[in-house]
Amino acid sequence: MREKINQEIGVITVFSARLKAAAPYLLHWHNNDYQVGEIGYHHTIKRGETLHHIFEVTDKDSSMCFRLRLDTSNLHWTLEAISDGLAT
Amino acid sequence: MTDLQLNDAKPLIMHIDLNSCFAIIEQQANPLIRYKPVAVAAYDTPGGMVLAASYEAKRLGIKLGVNVRQARELCPEVIVMIPDPAKYRDAHRRFREVLLNYTSEITPKSIDEFVIDFAGSPSLRAGRTLTDVGYEIKEKIKQSLGEYVTVNVGIGPNRFLAKVAAGLNKPDGLNVITAKNLRKTFAKLDLTDLPGINVRYEARLNIHGIYSPLQFLDSDGDHLKKRVFKSKVGMDWYYRLRGWEVDDVNWGRKSYGHQYALSHKTTDRQYLSQLLMKLCEKTGRRLRGSGHTARGIHLWLTFANHQYFSRGKNTHSQMYATQDIYFQAQRLLNQAIMPDNVTNMSVTIYKLESCDPEQMGLFDGTRIDKKALAQAADKVNDRYGEFTVVPAIMASMDDLILDRIAFGNVKDLY
Repeated sequence: MREKINQEIGVITVFSARLKAAAPYLLHWHNNDYQVGEIGYHHTIKRGETLHHIFEVTDKDSSMCFRLRLDTSNLHWTLEAISDGLAT
Repeated sequence: MTDLQLNDAKPLIMHIDLNSCFAIIEQQANPLIRYKPVAVAAYDTPGGMVLAASYEAKRLGIKLGVNVRQARELCPEVIVMIPDPAKYRDAHRRFREVLLNYTSEITPKSIDEFVIDFAGSPSLRAGRTLTDVGYEIKEKIKQSLGEYVTVNVGIGPNRFLAKVAAGLNKPDGLNVITAKNLRKTFAKLDLTDLPGINVRYEARLNIHGIYSPLQFLDSDGDHLKKRVFKSKVGMDWYYRLRGWEVDDVNWGRKSYGHQYALSHKTTDRQYLSQLLMKLCEKTGRRLRGSGHTARGIHLWLTFANHQYFSRGKNTHSQMYATQDIYFQAQRLLNQAIMPDNVTNMSVTIYKLESCDPEQMGLFDGTRIDKKALAQAADKVNDRYGEFTVVPAIMASMDDLILDRIAFGNVKDLY
């Protein structure tokens, strides 16, 4: 089941100088903390001149997949959708 | 011509395609749907057409052309998703960047396929074969796009045989076709396994006693040219099957077009005009972005009863602004008689010329103003997002036409 959420959430992000990469580490949603397990895909999109980063990640338990968007104009994170990996 | 030899040169052409591109990228992005039947469909409603299916879904008969209702009948657990074009375009760019590490002679054939010519490439240093390079590319693609992503690699002496090789042993295969194993490879294939041979060509070949790729290969060149295909196409096939190159021509951009499969099928002309305007705006943006004008336009409508309307015309004046294109397209739409609800609409503009909008038609007193307006609107849309500024007819449209990936040509990605 895949569900659109489109809600701003709190995210802790980590930047590694060694890997030269930044990625979400933990997200807080519905009073729960979800530590990021695997980053499935990361890409960018442009809306007008604003760059957005899209991360599709699972939690450590691999029970949920989260689609996150970082708006670089204000550094706000939005949880766009969630998926439990089952058919709709 | 009866006795042209097989091309026994070292095979230096590589054809690579991403297995089940849209579906595998979605499975890479969401680990929870890996190893499961996944179908990416134009719409996730029962009538939505499947565009790509994962290998797990393909094994159950879910493939391009099946609709969502049929897919769910074949497999109730199938995970149906709508496309995410921005992600697939990103995957395509990463794919291309991997290949550019080996040679600059790469040609994108579609969003998920490339042809690479390794002739003269320093990638083939002493002791290193193209097969070695192929395996290395597979690994580099996994590193760049994700460990779940697989590609098929085909190597051959020409583009055609490289593509045939890429079609063997899917998914995640690597195959080489040379003069030595060509006949053995063809013996295992059907005619429609050959790229470019669809059921209609197969029927034509059958009429002339050709029922297999080996029989096709053994056919006389003059017979193919004069009797079977009645044109030089026959001779092209004669050379192509033997591994000689006839497909490395770059035809250049000849048209721009957009097509839309309507989610809401209708005969409402006002609604159709709004959709038409949006198609013309998308087409116009690409036309102006490429620095061209156009002097030909074609409109195609498909109806629910499987009939169609197809009409094109050459225009006296150059089309540049969206309004120019829409004016001509609307005139064509006005000529359409609608026997049933419209299911598909497409607009194509052609007869492209490099942009010289200072040259005005005799009665086009506003040509320069229209050009300036079109360019100003494009700049606003570049800055603030597509369709920020729209023609008035589109004001109430919201997102009536969704972003989609075209099958084939991806030149506009670069």
